[in-house]
Amino acid sequence: MNAMLTLIRCEAKMVVRDTAGLVVPIALPMLILVMNASAAGDQRVAGGRSALEVYVLPLVFAIVLSTIGIVNMPSFLAYYRHGGILRRLAVTPVSPVTVLVAQLVVSLAQALVGIALAYTVAVTAFGARPPAGTGTALAVVGLAVAAIYSLGMVVASVAPTPNSAVAIGLVSFFALGAVGGLFGGVDSLPDPLAAAASWLPFGATVEALSNAWAGTPVATDNLVGLAVTAIAGSAVAALLFRWT
Amino acid sequence: MSQPAIEAKNLYKRYGEVVAVEDVSLSVAPGEVLGLLGANGAGKTTTIELIAGLRKPDRGTVRVLGHDPQRERAAVRRLLGVQLQEATLHGALTVAELLGLYRSFYPDPRPAAELLDLVDLREQAKTRFERLSGGQQQRLSIALALVGRPRVVILDELTTGLDPRARRRIWAGVEALADETVLLVSHAMDEVERLCDRVVLLDAGRIVAQGAPAGLVAQTGTGSLEEAFVALTGRELTPEEAA
Repeated sequence: MNAMLTLIRCEAKMVVRDTAGLVVPIALPMLILVMNASAAGDQRVAGGRSALEVYVLPLVFAIVLSTIGIVNMPSFLAYYRHGGILRRLAVTPVSPVTVLVAQLVVSLAQALVGIALAYTVAVTAFGARPPAGTGTALAVVGLAVAAIYSLGMVVASVAPTPNSAVAIGLVSFFALGAVGGLFGGVDSLPDPLAAAASWLPFGATVEALSNAWAGTPVATDNLVGLAVTAIAGSAVAALLFRWT
Repeated sequence: MSQPAIEAKNLYKRYGEVVAVEDVSLSVAPGEVLGLLGANGAGKTTTIELIAGLRKPDRGTVRVLGHDPQRERAAVRRLLGVQLQEATLHGALTVAELLGLYRSFYPDPRPAAELLDLVDLREQAKTRFERLSGGQQQRLSIALALVGRPRVVILDELTTGLDPRARRRIWAGVEALADETVLLVSHAMDEVERLCDRVVLLDAGRIVAQGAPAGLVAQTGTGSLEEAFVALTGRELTPEEAA
């Protein structure tokens, strides 16, 4: 346990010292939030809820989780592997699982900070209200974390270098984002893609959070899509992950 | 007769079509400093990776103080300290933070201050790893190999690329390891002659000779270990290898 806590503390210090790494996962979603919040905060869309609550915040949360889970975390792990840090750790008594868990904990903390910041700004500056189904929203965030981070572990498993991890991560992020409503409504996509959006992690997260905020039932497609991604991604990552 | 600290029998490892190690057997007695000597590509690094449990041999067995590195990973990791040639550390962490991190992995680690003194890095304790010179990074790497009070230490290319002063400092550090068994991988003849009780000479993945450095020189009727190496392997070390 001492090793785990020390490793988490060290990982956290490295994140704090590399502030440039937080620009995309935290500053970019914040920018999207601020740019859209004024207009979306006044627009009522469902059950008296604003577009900021039902569309913008779920999208911003999904961006934070995806950029950290699919881009940042895998690039860190690929750097560790490529640079030989994992190889060095592999000849110590520390369990490989400890290294992964420490990385996951710190990445998760970053995502939660990003989400908390976005939520606080939305509430205090733009009058957003909490989700109608707070418990549901928290459960969806938990499931989304499991799905998106397991996908990130797959990226970390297959990327041979840090640069390739960033490339694979960004392509995956933009592809999932495009299908999930990052660049416009899912309704404007061709039917097969729009249908896939409900099942893929980015779109499923946005839709499920949107329903949780509006107080309407979360679609089974979203929950099943996220759960299957979490299980399949973890299994594939466990199968493919290499220390050297 | 006491149990060998390291015992490797008939190790064989290939990567695709390339046979890296073929029928390598060696035994290191407790407290002995054994040099593993060979040119680039001779199979030195693969041999120590097999001994450290980083790779699984295609054939053959390894025991470290009686433990199998593949099956008894945890036990071997507690007994073994390893300095690897191709490995780095978290660049953004300071020397003191890295020592603290690696100390947390072991039940009874050496005090950080003792390690800093051993490798002469006390003044760099608050310097990030990425800002250390090559020699300082190498010295920290050696300190981390010793942090868990290992009974067996593997040092891979201990002083490659270091200036003469840094080499002498590191050699003094190794000579201070009175109780540990050391497997020293090198292609630096002066280093091996100074530090090792015995030498195993590898060439093209096979052991071609072994014995005390002076014994190999006498056996070949040459004037130095480097000349003995040439006589036994039929190859000259490249300037880079000999540096």
